Amino acid sequence: MPQFKHRLSVSELLTLWLSRVVIWVAIILVIVPMLYVVTASFNPSQAYFSSSLIPSHPSLANYRALFAQGQFLIWLKNSSIVALSLGLGQLVITSTAAYAFSRMRFYGRKNGIMILLILQMFPNFLTISVIYYGLAQVGLLDNLWVYILVQLGGSAFNIWLLKNYFDTVPRELDEAAIMDGAGHRQIFWKIVLPLARPMLMVIFFFTLIGSFSEYILAGTIIQSASNYTLGLGLYSLISGEFAKNWGEFAAAALLSAAPLTIGFGIINKWIASGLVAGSVKG
Amino acid sequence: MLSQQIRIRQAKKRRTRYQVQWSAYGYLSPALVTIAVLSVIPTLLTFAVAFTNASAIHFTNPSFVGLKNFAALFNLNDPLAQVFIPTFIWTVVFAFVTTALNYFVGLFLAVLLNNKNMRETRLYRAILIIPWAVPALISTLIWQGLLNQSYGQVNAVLHMVGIPAIPWLVSPLWARVSIILVNLWLSFPFMMTVCLGGLQAIPGEWYEAASIDGATFWQRFRYITLPSIWKISLPLVIPSFAFQFNNFNAVYLLTGGGPARNSTQFAGYTDILASAAYKMTLDFNRYDLAATIAVVLFILVGFFSWINMRATGAFREAD
Repeated sequence: MPQFKHRLSVSELLTLWLSRVVIWVAIILVIVPMLYVVTASFNPSQAYFSSSLIPSHPSLANYRALFAQGQFLIWLKNSSIVALSLGLGQLVITSTAAYAFSRMRFYGRKNGIMILLILQMFPNFLTISVIYYGLAQVGLLDNLWVYILVQLGGSAFNIWLLKNYFDTVPRELDEAAIMDGAGHRQIFWKIVLPLARPMLMVIFFFTLIGSFSEYILAGTIIQSASNYTLGLGLYSLISGEFAKNWGEFAAAALLSAAPLTIGFGIINKWIASGLVAGSVKG
Repeated sequence: MLSQQIRIRQAKKRRTRYQVQWSAYGYLSPALVTIAVLSVIPTLLTFAVAFTNASAIHFTNPSFVGLKNFAALFNLNDPLAQVFIPTFIWTVVFAFVTTALNYFVGLFLAVLLNNKNMRETRLYRAILIIPWAVPALISTLIWQGLLNQSYGQVNAVLHMVGIPAIPWLVSPLWARVSIILVNLWLSFPFMMTVCLGGLQAIPGEWYEAASIDGATFWQRFRYITLPSIWKISLPLVIPSFAFQFNNFNAVYLLTGGGPARNSTQFAGYTDILASAAYKMTLDFNRYDLAATIAVVLFILVGFFSWINMRATGAFREAD
């Protein structure tokens, strides 16, 4: 935007440059730790106890070791199964419930979402004692599918989000469809779901990304290394023999964080650009 | 044409009459079943187990013990209370300090970035948001490595400028400082983004009017910026406090709750209640005590949420 070009006063200049210096310091504090991880990942073992940002003997040894043992791929596979199942599960649970709250009439519609939100105010990881005790009694610990199932309960907030989004899909479309003889099933599948695709993607990807940061339930339910998720695997690497594993850990952390970070950036930009909010303006 | 109008009228009529659509419960059933079985029932069972002696010893035959577990946690003469009460206090202090620090650092940076003379501000914002984008689990574990007393890069950098090695994750005080600082690194971008949104919603004319009236920079900040921001960010500050209160990952993945206390094995110096309950369950198989701690946490979470709803009127418009 063309603006009046006016000369900044001394105090404005001072404020500007002081702000810049503070922000540069903050940026250094944000970036440098990440760079150290990159450095460590390219440093073969025993060579990384320095403050240098340039690896002394750069090599891919850590990456090779990570894949040679095969464990990293197992963690990646398990985490992907968990993330995709949770994402799809959330879509099924939230879209059907949100449709009912948005379009149908039934007892409990008025206060239903409020009640669900209150019920889910208590995070389910606080019930780990009961989950562990119960699963141990029926012998269902250390099962990836049980771990997935346990996490499927927390959907109230997404139902609320999606219901508000469904409400913005114009009802005239429903009425036109009813006129053509469509029932709820057709309206749900052919009108509301396709038009709500942006919001469904947001819920899917946030569930997916969020599942990679889940530790407490994974640590409670999963026990054997073959069932480890990325989180448990990374934890076992760094809390074991630190000096031996730091390079491998750095490589694994980098490989897992990079796609998720980029994915998060894209979704965030997507949301910020108003694509989600404005796509179905009635 | 006419028949179509009649059909529209009939459709509208049908819409206005309240008629329960039983198929709605079919649509609701996936959500209702999962929430009931996986969320509500475990919560109710947690309350039940808190009144029993369920543990490794009484694994198959727990019995009802009344308020014994609660008494153990709150009776000052009980050895358990001597762990529980300091852990409880640290949990409150941690949640309060970390929320306040994250918020004010986020606000401070947002104010600096919201300078119309700073042309490159968008670039700065994009970079400063990175810690939010990296999955918190991974970055917390990374910090565990960087803060390692002997091998970590943080101490290596300090060594370079002549500062002796700091026992980051090893001494009780520094371990607590580490947790709060790492959590700041993870969380300030969120607060910064929220505050920037709030700042940009303030009409520029307010500042112009204030300048004309001769208001100083500080006065403009105090009487225009802060109140406007506060109104927008309050609905997020209270849930953020409730979240930090149970921020298991921030503690457990960095220090594992350690360093250990000499007096007890149940909880270390940095353990918050959530991580103490985790250890009670997995390391000591004391399901009864873990459930009791969870009940205390449930009550507190409920209390925070109630305050939040009162303060912000959130969900009031929910149909």
